[in-house]
Amino acid sequence: MEPSDEALCQRVAKRDEAAFDLLVSRYQERAYRLAWSMLRNAEDARDVSQDAFIRLYQAAGSFGGRSKFSTWFYRILINLCLDHKRKHRWWKLWVRDEDDERSDTILDRQPAPVVDPVDKMSREQTMKALGAAVDRLAPRQRAAVLLRVQEDMATYDIARVLKCSEATVRVHLHRALTTLKKTVEKR
Amino acid sequence: MARHPDTDLVPFLRGDLPPAERDRVARHLEECPDCRQDAEQLRDLLGDLARSIGQPPTVQWARYRAELREKLEARRGRRAWWSRPVPLAVSASLAGVLLVVAVWGGREMSRGTDPLSPDEAVIGHELGLLQEFQTVERLDLLEDLDVIGDLDGLASGQG
Repeated sequence: MEPSDEALCQRVAKRDEAAFDLLVSRYQERAYRLAWSMLRNAEDARDVSQDAFIRLYQAAGSFGGRSKFSTWFYRILINLCLDHKRKHRWWKLWVRDEDDERSDTILDRQPAPVVDPVDKMSREQTMKALGAAVDRLAPRQRAAVLLRVQEDMATYDIARVLKCSEATVRVHLHRALTTLKKTVEKR
Repeated sequence: MARHPDTDLVPFLRGDLPPAERDRVARHLEECPDCRQDAEQLRDLLGDLARSIGQPPTVQWARYRAELREKLEARRGRRAWWSRPVPLAVSASLAGVLLVVAVWGGREMSRGTDPLSPDEAVIGHELGLLQEFQTVERLDLLEDLDVIGDLDGLASGQG
């Protein structure tokens, strides 16, 4: 039987390198994807997600097991992303990375059912606008939306990750989705 | 009609609400066409969002883990400065030097007399006081010129 994340984390606290490697393998893709969704830069996402694993290694002893490992780890990761955004806020006004441009990634991701080309174009533009609108959300709203949509996390768990009340998460999500809905309606 | 469950709709759609709240929102949606429409739009929007956020550029995971290992090793090697051997030795040496200086300086101070300046030495020599400087220094007579005039005798032991 596969050991649980929580059991692995307890082994990492005792400096079990194999347990650490296994946890990294389990979470690397999710961590990198979430960091990329927050930061929109592949290199930053790689650095920040790796930093999150290093923090995990260093702080494994403080994981009490009262919450799920995933919630605890996502909190580390989201905090690092929010810190990174804070530090680079002014720099970003001057320099814009190529990764920031949302170019054609949506085209690559969409399955291509047979549809009217005009409808398809309109739909792709809407999706592109929606993705860009997510990028413009306030950082904590964006984190709440990404955890909800991308990681399919429950409100309770999002609250644990963002270290706030469930009511606050509901407000974050409501405001963010209201903003995004307006973006779609404008088109 | 009860208040509109705006902020409850997202958790409701995911099934996060506790039973009592879930029933309340469900009842409200049956009665309120606006909220029902909002809920449907939100459901579509959440589905679209999952697709619109997209996927990051691909990563070579073996390389990613190797980089992570290197960073972790580097962090392990970077111990706190005060626990590193070299700064510790330097600090200990510095503390030792300071201790020696303090003790030596204290002993010098305890000898009690300030060295004479050249001018004082010349005057002292001319007055014949230099040989008895230790004695003279302890006398509070130096401002009395008459007494000073008699001090020459001290050198010859007549005083």
